[in-house]
Amino acid sequence: MKFKIAKNVLFAALQRVQNVVAARTTLPILSNVLLNAEKGRISLCTTDLEVSVKCSAEASVQKQGATTLPARRLASIVRELPDKPIAIEVDDKNIATLECNSSYFKIIGMSEDEFPPMSMPEGQYTYALDQGRLKDMLGKTVYAASTDETRHVLNGALLNFKGNKLSVVATDGRRLALVEHEMEVPREAETEVVLPTKALAELMHTLSEQGTVKVRSDGNKIAFEFDDVIVTSKVIEGTYPNYRQVIPGPAEQRVTVERETLLAALKRVSLVTTDKANAARLTFTNNSIVVSTTSPDVGEARETVPVKYTGKDITVAFNPEYVMDPLRTLTCDEIYIEITDDLSPGVIKCETPFLYVLMPMRVT
Amino acid sequence: MKRSFLHVDMDAFFAAVEQRDRPELRGKPVVVGAPPDRRGVVAAASYEARQFGIHSAMPSREAGRRCPQAVFLPVDGERYEKASREIFAILETFTPLVEPLSIDEAFLDVSGARLIHGTAEEIARKIKETVRRKTGLTASVGVAPNKFLAKLASELSKPDGLLVIPEPPEEIVAFLAPLPVSRLWGVGKVTRRHLESAGIRTVGDLQSLPADRLSRITGKAAAESLLHLARGEDLREIEMDRREKSMSREHTFPEDCRERETVEAVLLDLVEDVGNRLRLAGKHAAVVHLKLRWHDFRTITRQLTLDAPCCDDFTLREAALSLFRAQPLSGPVRLIGFGVGGLADGVNRQLSLFKSEGQPRERKERLSRAVDAIRRRFGEEVIGRADARRGAARAGGRPG
Repeated sequence: MKFKIAKNVLFAALQRVQNVVAARTTLPILSNVLLNAEKGRISLCTTDLEVSVKCSAEASVQKQGATTLPARRLASIVRELPDKPIAIEVDDKNIATLECNSSYFKIIGMSEDEFPPMSMPEGQYTYALDQGRLKDMLGKTVYAASTDETRHVLNGALLNFKGNKLSVVATDGRRLALVEHEMEVPREAETEVVLPTKALAELMHTLSEQGTVKVRSDGNKIAFEFDDVIVTSKVIEGTYPNYRQVIPGPAEQRVTVERETLLAALKRVSLVTTDKANAARLTFTNNSIVVSTTSPDVGEARETVPVKYTGKDITVAFNPEYVMDPLRTLTCDEIYIEITDDLSPGVIKCETPFLYVLMPMRVT
Repeated sequence: MKRSFLHVDMDAFFAAVEQRDRPELRGKPVVVGAPPDRRGVVAAASYEARQFGIHSAMPSREAGRRCPQAVFLPVDGERYEKASREIFAILETFTPLVEPLSIDEAFLDVSGARLIHGTAEEIARKIKETVRRKTGLTASVGVAPNKFLAKLASELSKPDGLLVIPEPPEEIVAFLAPLPVSRLWGVGKVTRRHLESAGIRTVGDLQSLPADRLSRITGKAAAESLLHLARGEDLREIEMDRREKSMSREHTFPEDCRERETVEAVLLDLVEDVGNRLRLAGKHAAVVHLKLRWHDFRTITRQLTLDAPCCDDFTLREAALSLFRAQPLSGPVRLIGFGVGGLADGVNRQLSLFKSEGQPRERKERLSRAVDAIRRRFGEEVIGRADARRGAARAGGRPG
């Protein structure tokens, strides 16, 4: 195989696919990127057997063919090359020579036969939605997913195409984030899948702000096609917990608060928390929320955030990180906090279809 | 003010107590620990026994082979503890700044006590004399400007020794230079091998080594601490309140065990034991450890950080089993151990969203405490898991 490609084009393509490549892997071929040269295009593909990313780019192909080359090494070489066309030629022993301006590299690859093939889901129906929209929905939920490997089904986000909307949900059993987006979902095309965290990260990394993404799933696999990219992933098997039942009904008190003001207060207060004393108390009192922490080994902190509130005094303790997570990813100026008492879940909402449910901490 | 630390270490402590109490054993090789025809290890060996190459932690069978005429005695913890209490009482008459390291060794900060009791060397001498007069036992004492050097000094002076490390830094460096690197705190078998393969055998080799070169061999953090130690620098203070940071229990099988279920049953007994101690101490554990020793003495340890600190048997059991079940049984098991770490007092409890999700931690903890109470009142055996083979860990357990 032999082709010529602009440095920037190749580097951009490598950047899109190289995240999937694990630093250490048991299967050497998984460190490599599969290169395929066809008519006027080359495609690059990487996989960790769970998530695969394929990306194609324009190139002037003189001789079609395929090989695999070490992905991270190739990317770091291409990064350093001058902004000139790169000529790549691969012999039948999978040894690639790479020439660009006055640079010459010889890189040892592996045969493409050993590269695990990318398998596409067989689903009939394809959902189309805006890339920026999907990226935004994932960003607003993914942090709530569990990292506890013993709770496999929670190590990702639920994508639920049902009732003429897409709901994206992530939870670790302590807090839950939910975003919804209205879209046409024919009854026969209703489906729900749990997408692993790694695939979510990959999508956030590769999706652009504009253009359409097409989503297809057959219940075992899911594929996202956009621009020149295809991301496929296995879905997590298992029953996702019934998230609707943990969304509380109307709360006793609802407070409107400036998002950034509350976030800054929490950030400062959490500077005195420790592993042992990792709770921040939120006291809703006369026209203010008082955020405070006490760590026996460190000291105390207190911040007062002005709000409109005339209800009874309520104090509830939360892990401050869990309160800050949604505040960091939302973009609206104001958020609404709903609380009932010190042992009931708190809820954060905003003007857009977003909901965050957070269980308090019992402070001893 | 110049600082002065002592490291006081009793000589062959368990064996010395035995020889003191049974004059007929004096001058003879005495080994305290498991008998030579059974499984288990040497807990202490008298200096006479050490001449045969016997040392603590050696399998007793091996010790018996090396010195068939040695007198083997079982561990009599109560008597050793009594002697230990007497010794610590003596140490505390010199300074309140005493850091116990084990039943028979301690660090003392005598920087202030010098005003009352004379120089550090004089204090060391007085301690040795008083200990000998009141308990009939000998101690070795190291005197130095810091803890690391004091311990090194007492080790080098054994038995019945007293070694004072000079104070000028250049003399300390010269003193350390000829010593093998394994004398440094933190240099075990593995690090020693790494250093030796890089041609570093003595502390002197280390002293002349550039930091970045050492970093490449041992990693950055270890390199930094090694270079300090190689120059005899150690800023650690006396820790009088050595709070318990971990708890553990081990079981050595009377015969190497091949059955996974048997090992598992013993493990679960160990878990309950550790859990019980944890609850008694009012602590919560953040980390659990598993230790497995195969028949050929290869030993592995695995650990897991819990979702949230806990002290109930249910969570500990689940964690222990998940660690154990992840280990293929590559051969017969000689020893199994379970421990907890990252101990903390009360914890803030994050409540769970999903009610159906198992029993909440609090209920598990209450249940575990109730079981403790029943056992205290009616005996160990009256209540247990339905799947338990209780007693497995209690029959024939030996240290090692």
